[in-house]
Amino acid sequence: MNIANIKRVSSITILSVLLIIVILLATGTGAMHISPMQVLAILLNKAGFHLHVAYEENMPGVLWMIRLPRVILGALIGAGLGVAGASLQGLFRNPLADPGLIGISSGASMAAVVMIIVQSALPVFQQAPVLNFYALNLAAFAGAVIATLFIFRIARTGGQAAISTMLLAGIAVRALCESVTGLMTYLANNEQLRSITFWSLGSLGGASWQTVSGVAPFVIIPLIMLPRLAPALNLLALGEREAMHSGVRVPRLKSLLVIFATMAVAAGVAVAGIIGFIGLIVPHIVRQFTGPDYRILIPGAALSGAVLLTIADLLCRTIVAPAELPVGIITAVIGAPFFLWLIIKEKRTIPA
Amino acid sequence: MMLCVKDISLSLGKMKILEGISLEAGAGKLCVIMGANGAGKSTLLKVIAGEYMQYQGSVTIGGKELKALPVATQARTRAVLSQQLTLNQPFTVAEVVSMGRYVYNTHLSAADKEIISYALKVMQVYNLRDRTYPTLSGGQKQRVQMARVLAQLLEAPDLEATDYTGRKMLLLDEPVTGMDILHQQLSLQLASTLAASGVLVVAVLHDFQLAAAYAGKLLMLKDGRVYAQGTVEEIFTSAHIKNCFGVDVAVLEHPHCHYPLVVTAAAGGLFQSPAVKALKVL
Repeated sequence: MNIANIKRVSSITILSVLLIIVILLATGTGAMHISPMQVLAILLNKAGFHLHVAYEENMPGVLWMIRLPRVILGALIGAGLGVAGASLQGLFRNPLADPGLIGISSGASMAAVVMIIVQSALPVFQQAPVLNFYALNLAAFAGAVIATLFIFRIARTGGQAAISTMLLAGIAVRALCESVTGLMTYLANNEQLRSITFWSLGSLGGASWQTVSGVAPFVIIPLIMLPRLAPALNLLALGEREAMHSGVRVPRLKSLLVIFATMAVAAGVAVAGIIGFIGLIVPHIVRQFTGPDYRILIPGAALSGAVLLTIADLLCRTIVAPAELPVGIITAVIGAPFFLWLIIKEKRTIPA
Repeated sequence: MMLCVKDISLSLGKMKILEGISLEAGAGKLCVIMGANGAGKSTLLKVIAGEYMQYQGSVTIGGKELKALPVATQARTRAVLSQQLTLNQPFTVAEVVSMGRYVYNTHLSAADKEIISYALKVMQVYNLRDRTYPTLSGGQKQRVQMARVLAQLLEAPDLEATDYTGRKMLLLDEPVTGMDILHQQLSLQLASTLAASGVLVVAVLHDFQLAAAYAGKLLMLKDGRVYAQGTVEEIFTSAHIKNCFGVDVAVLEHPHCHYPLVVTAAAGGLFQSPAVKALKVL
């Protein structure tokens, strides 16, 4: 029992340190290079501590206005994706579950693509710049939440959401959303097509302190609440029946998991588009080191998701600099082969 | 009365599974439910375990209506060992058993840990505590689950120190499936020791010898109804067993054995047997 505690504390500590290092590196890297020590000095200077490190006059401006919001946004969205993936894999008792399964991505995509088409057709949006600016984010968020709640509602019979029904409803809703997305893509002109493609591959390019403060509460609330559900999630691994026998209020647990997972992902999707694979692979990576205990897995997945997306975004804005690659391409390019390797490795260690 | 089942009926879809079942069992009894496949044994146990809320009739536990009891109160009063548990994630044996303490503490106290170690030792899986569950054999898995259920039931790391009369209930659905003969005996001795400490134990069993040796009260189900209930001597007659299972048996006495031995009499010829035909097995 003590070993589990040591494992928990040490893995969380290691991942936190790793996240801080990655954040310092990522904030320092770009067209203007700022060393990690300089980054630290600038950040601590704001907090009132003065380190004896020299830095150029324009560095704090670049750091505060451009780099830091983007890196923080990436870390937040990555944490949200990781924690949602881990929780949903627990809910579905299936390691292949990811936020896409309950309609978050497809609902958001459909709404966003519809909005991209509608926006240029309706004069209302051109007349109100604020509305124009936020319409896409709001539409994506609403699309994600509505699709998820719709699937959840269908699966609820007699107060209990049947997991298998939810899976099937998810597949159907996904197909429906994708057909609408497809239709809109077909109707789109060249410029709209470009926005659609860019959005569906994900990008943190729109980061500002405004977007950070918009996303933060939606990610932070699940980050606080989901670890509290971890002991119940462990019991859910034994089955819904056993969880109930052991004192878990299963219907309530399932509702909370869906709500928090949707919150953690939807706000990120709304500002950064679809960023695939993080929600799926992060829990697998963490499980390799910590085992299946959700009390470690959930915080571990949050930290690892943040680390991974920060690295992926760093790569996408540096490898073809001064241009940028969509971050969804990087996460898929790293994620897919890694996932295949995991599957093969697991197949070797556990005989089918 | 610890458990009072009154005139229970349950349909799943259009199938009537249970019809008019009544059962009373007091604290400190080992109550065994027997019956042919599909007679409704597991379903009855699941109703008592709070899994089906759409039953008609009434189930009271310690005088309180089951439907009105919150899940956490139910879990503090009764532990359940179900059939066909699947756990594919590589939790260790110790982690699985410690899940039994969830309803008391989500973070384990020192007392919880003592109870967990004790349960591991009682079911002889203490030396397997760091193994991952999916790598165990079927019988070992069953023993680990039994240890988990025991960890949920106990209030102290001792089987006999606490008086559980009127406070605790243990439901076991075919608990010895896959176990070797030593652990079958061990599990049922554990069940009767708990019964002696005041726990009401209700177990579904298939083995006549185990039932005869350990049952304090027997309930025989047939087609979703109570066919007969009473003591081992009253229920284990060749007529009853033939009517419920369609098998000719002899009920014997043995000088070294304090309970009746049920021995199958007709080794061959079951396919022509009128008793089997009457049960519409063929």
